[in-house]
Amino acid sequence: MKLSSTGYLFKEGFKNIWNNRMMSLASVIVLVSCLIITGAAALISVNVRSLISQVGDDNEVTIYLKPELSDLESIKLGGELGKIGNIESYVFNSKDEVIKQYEKNLGEEIYESMQGDGNPFGNEYKIQLKDLSKYSETVEKINKLEGVDKVSDRSDIAGKLTKLNYFVTLVGSWVVLILAVVTLFIISNTIKMTMYSRRFEISIMKSVGATNAFVRIPFIIEAMMIGLISGLIASGAIIAMYSPVRDAASGIIGMIADTTLTVKQVWLPTLLTMSGIGMLIGLIGGFISITRYLNKEGGAIIGK
Amino acid sequence: MIHLENISKIYPNGNEALKKISLDIDQGEFVFIVGPSGAGKSTFLKLLIHEEKATFGKLTVNGRDLIKIKNRKVPYLRRTMGIVFQDFRLIDKMNVFDNVAFAMRAIGTPEKAIKKRVRYVLKLVGLEGTDKRRPNELSGGEQQRVALARALVNNPEIIIADEPTGNIDPERSYEIMKMLVAINRRGTTVIIVTHEHELVKEFGGRVIRIADGEITHDEFLPTKYQPERILNSQNSSAQNIPEKKHRVNAEAEEESPAEQNDNENENTAEEADTL
Repeated sequence: MKLSSTGYLFKEGFKNIWNNRMMSLASVIVLVSCLIITGAAALISVNVRSLISQVGDDNEVTIYLKPELSDLESIKLGGELGKIGNIESYVFNSKDEVIKQYEKNLGEEIYESMQGDGNPFGNEYKIQLKDLSKYSETVEKINKLEGVDKVSDRSDIAGKLTKLNYFVTLVGSWVVLILAVVTLFIISNTIKMTMYSRRFEISIMKSVGATNAFVRIPFIIEAMMIGLISGLIASGAIIAMYSPVRDAASGIIGMIADTTLTVKQVWLPTLLTMSGIGMLIGLIGGFISITRYLNKEGGAIIGK
Repeated sequence: MIHLENISKIYPNGNEALKKISLDIDQGEFVFIVGPSGAGKSTFLKLLIHEEKATFGKLTVNGRDLIKIKNRKVPYLRRTMGIVFQDFRLIDKMNVFDNVAFAMRAIGTPEKAIKKRVRYVLKLVGLEGTDKRRPNELSGGEQQRVALARALVNNPEIIIADEPTGNIDPERSYEIMKMLVAINRRGTTVIIVTHEHELVKEFGGRVIRIADGEITHDEFLPTKYQPERILNSQNSSAQNIPEKKHRVNAEAEEESPAEQNDNENENTAEEADTL
């Protein structure tokens, strides 16, 4: 293929999309649907991983003290904590500060009724561990201290999230794989139909000495453009839906807001990845179709 | 130019379309291939353009061994040929200019050269000023002239015409045949498959009859359109044929291919005047 043909071949590729606009539109619609599901699965997986990573990195442990423990006794207990070892730092929160965290959720009336003796919470310590691998033995030692009600156990959350991530990754991978095959099938069928409608032109091209590469390129460009357009639309839809879905999920599980990626962080990678995947699927699907066609029927010139 | 030696073609269904045929076609010859339907004429053309591969024998076209040729080399073989079909095979959605230009674009010719050459060839076949018209706005004869222009536009060494007058009225058939004769006079080998005996009698040249996959006749039929240049039987490789008379084009004999190429524009301009 000569360089001088490049412009012509690209023009032909774009013209094909328009000439077969109904088929192209149908392909774009199905591809967009597949890509949205694929992209959503991938984004959920990425966010779950981000959440797990942040939970895992967070080595803060809360020590809840018994409500009847006075402030003085609580401060004394702080001294005991320093002797346990494996504690990087600790911050004391009085029961008044703890109830204040729930002020908005409780409403003014209930909040007021829970002041002073009505406060059901006890004082608490937030501690940072030096070494997370010694988490269990450190917690055991803390539990033995007089006045400790309970210690927050985040290892359970991390375990559940790891399982969730495994599930999301597994299901996501299958979804992506199945949809990739479906999209490949759709795009190669579109190109097959385009080729069928243009088999006459192909036979003339072959009769005047066009190489297979020359015949292939407009179809591959067409398939890649369908893939690119689908990728752009699907990524646009995902980016548009991302924030509302994230906000809604944060409303249910508060920590999502702090631990998942923001739309600013995901929009560019989503756009680039999905457009790239769309084009790649187009390239592979188009190439498979046209090659199979050329090998099977592409040599016919004079007639059957 | 074209050499067939004991060529057989057996299709997968067992039909033996060609049976050990041998013949040579030299550069500049004007050849009719005649014979009844199913005789093997189309198979013969398909072998020449490598749409089909011979089952046995040796076949050389324009210096290329078509038995051993690699698939990726086939396009380059076809660039040395111009093919004209009975049903014109024009693309309806393209205008006349683009139908002809299509053949040049398919081999990667720059647009500037395409514009110049297409206009020239359209003038050559008497279709000057029809650039923007669509094939369905043209008569059958005009459509076949567009097809002829497309076959000619890449300056082929051989024109292969499969029933070129099959779909047009007798008057227009004569016009097309005269054009093919004019093209042949430039030194281009012309091979025409036809059923029309009247045209064969009128335009003459080398007439090869195929029947039941075998060559039954190979003779030279002199007419007013053909120069009287006859080769003796020693120069012919056609075997077991009663009369082996071959003609070579006078200009082709006197000039080297390179010289013919150089003089092409000049010659074709003269021929355009005669059409």
